[in-house]
Amino acid sequence: MRAATFQGKGDIDVRQMPDPAIVNPRDCIIEVTSTAICGSDLHLYDGVIPGVAKDDILGHEFMGRVVATGKESTLEVGQRVVVPFTIFCGQCFHCSEQRYSNCDNSCPVEDQEVAEKAFGHPMAGMFGYSHLTGGFAGGQAEYVRIPYSDVVPLVVPEDIPDERLLFLSDILPTGWMAALNAEIAPGDTIAVWGCGPVGLFAILSAFQQKAGRVIAIDGVKGRLDMAEQLGAEPVNFHETDILDALKQMTGGVGPDAVIDAVGMEAHGFAIDNIADRIKQTVGIGQDRAHVLRQAIMACRKGGRVSVPGVYGGKADLFPLGALMQKGLQLRTGQTHVRRFTAELLDLIERDVIDPSFLISHRLPLDEAATGYRNFRDHQDEWIKVVMHP
Amino acid sequence: MTIANWARYGLAATLATAAGGVLIYRRKPGINHDAAPARSARHRRRFGDYRVTGATVTIRATPEQIRACWQGNAQLWSALEYLPFPEGNQPDLLLPPSELRDMASRPLLTRIVAEREDELIAWRSEGEGHADMHGRLRFRDNGSKGTAVEVIMAVRPQHFASAWKTEAMMAEALKLGLLRDLRRMKMLIETGEIATARMRPDAA
Repeated sequence: MRAATFQGKGDIDVRQMPDPAIVNPRDCIIEVTSTAICGSDLHLYDGVIPGVAKDDILGHEFMGRVVATGKESTLEVGQRVVVPFTIFCGQCFHCSEQRYSNCDNSCPVEDQEVAEKAFGHPMAGMFGYSHLTGGFAGGQAEYVRIPYSDVVPLVVPEDIPDERLLFLSDILPTGWMAALNAEIAPGDTIAVWGCGPVGLFAILSAFQQKAGRVIAIDGVKGRLDMAEQLGAEPVNFHETDILDALKQMTGGVGPDAVIDAVGMEAHGFAIDNIADRIKQTVGIGQDRAHVLRQAIMACRKGGRVSVPGVYGGKADLFPLGALMQKGLQLRTGQTHVRRFTAELLDLIERDVIDPSFLISHRLPLDEAATGYRNFRDHQDEWIKVVMHP
Repeated sequence: MTIANWARYGLAATLATAAGGVLIYRRKPGINHDAAPARSARHRRRFGDYRVTGATVTIRATPEQIRACWQGNAQLWSALEYLPFPEGNQPDLLLPPSELRDMASRPLLTRIVAEREDELIAWRSEGEGHADMHGRLRFRDNGSKGTAVEVIMAVRPQHFASAWKTEAMMAEALKLGLLRDLRRMKMLIETGEIATARMRPDAA
């Protein structure tokens, strides 16, 4: 089969790889019909996530049709499914509480130790990501092996096009969980850093969850325009001081909740960000946490800080004093995708939301390298890339 | 070479020989079934001459279910690296997995020395290996999370292998291997399979 593979920092190549097969009884194999490049794929592309190996198949946003099933899979050949990026067993303590991205069992034991050293505990498995999360082959390919196929994939209706369903695999539930983690009360003012796909879905979700105002912060005009179309008030960090602007816009109070939808690759020329970038470049630091620092400083006293943005290491100059002294609540985590998919599918089926507005470019899988390069380098126009193998 | 140099080299050689002798000489352990250190040592790096290590996981199952898997699941046995498992025909004997056998450098007879139903199974190695090993598998209720399964092993390398570094390496390998073994057992019991990222059954 053909698959988009990681060949090194900034180097993606579509290569011929072995077809997957059933390995465990709960597996299924799907033929991918649509797949997308995610903002967190760019962390791999930029080489800032450790544990990615040459020839790893990328991609954790995908959907397709079942073509083979293991003897304990409950799926049937021909069924159409969206596959959450977090792999989970459905039976461990964490899965029993719907914290699927904390699953104890889905990451192979051989790959658990590095994550355990870095984070204190091993992580759940994920498709197409680092070997810290199992090194599972991803969905930017013609076929994918899906473990625990009796619980992981979401069977979807035939009459809704791929492009409206695809983002149930990651970014739509991620935006939704980000808004839930912000514990929005009706009428609240929410500030969202980052108007990439997750940020835009966080804005959409915040309004769905009855936010009164959403302030969208980014440095890319095209993305701010999209946020504005969703009803948010755009603020360009290249043109204004964010802390001043937020205080002024909220009558000196600050936003009730803040959402960091940027993560470890913050942009801009703030001094702390320049220092982070130098540390990241020379390999003595991993996270450019400028946005998180700023969000904590901006949040109102007693407010909530929601962090869907991906971080992978340690950050210094972290405003722990502000977090404590203002009594903020910090909530974060990889998305427990499957917890939210039924509710979000219902919103899509009822035409309450149509996530396909995000798609800016459609490419064949063979042009994955172009998609990655432009998604990173031309953020004004390349908002979301969908590929069809 | 001057007499002074001869004296200097002689003194150095004497000191090196004495240091080596101290490292090499270790009192041969007498086997006392009631003093198996893994039965009493917890949260300690050393117990007398033994290096102690171990691992703990919580499994969503009862002690009986966990014990049944350990005693009767061939898929688990083939995946184990360090945790001994029951020998089918003789109820008080355990078979050491390959890594543990390699560590001891020869087949290691391992005999159950204590057993309390749903609570504890303790064993010790017998015979002349390069390491004397004691172990214990213990079950504790962990509330709604399941049953905590703790394995403690105490290892005492013998003869030339008793240098501190070798002992530390053995303990580290054991710690890692036992944790992997317990996690494989947890996966099998909770999910019915052992997680793998392999794309094909025949892939490495």
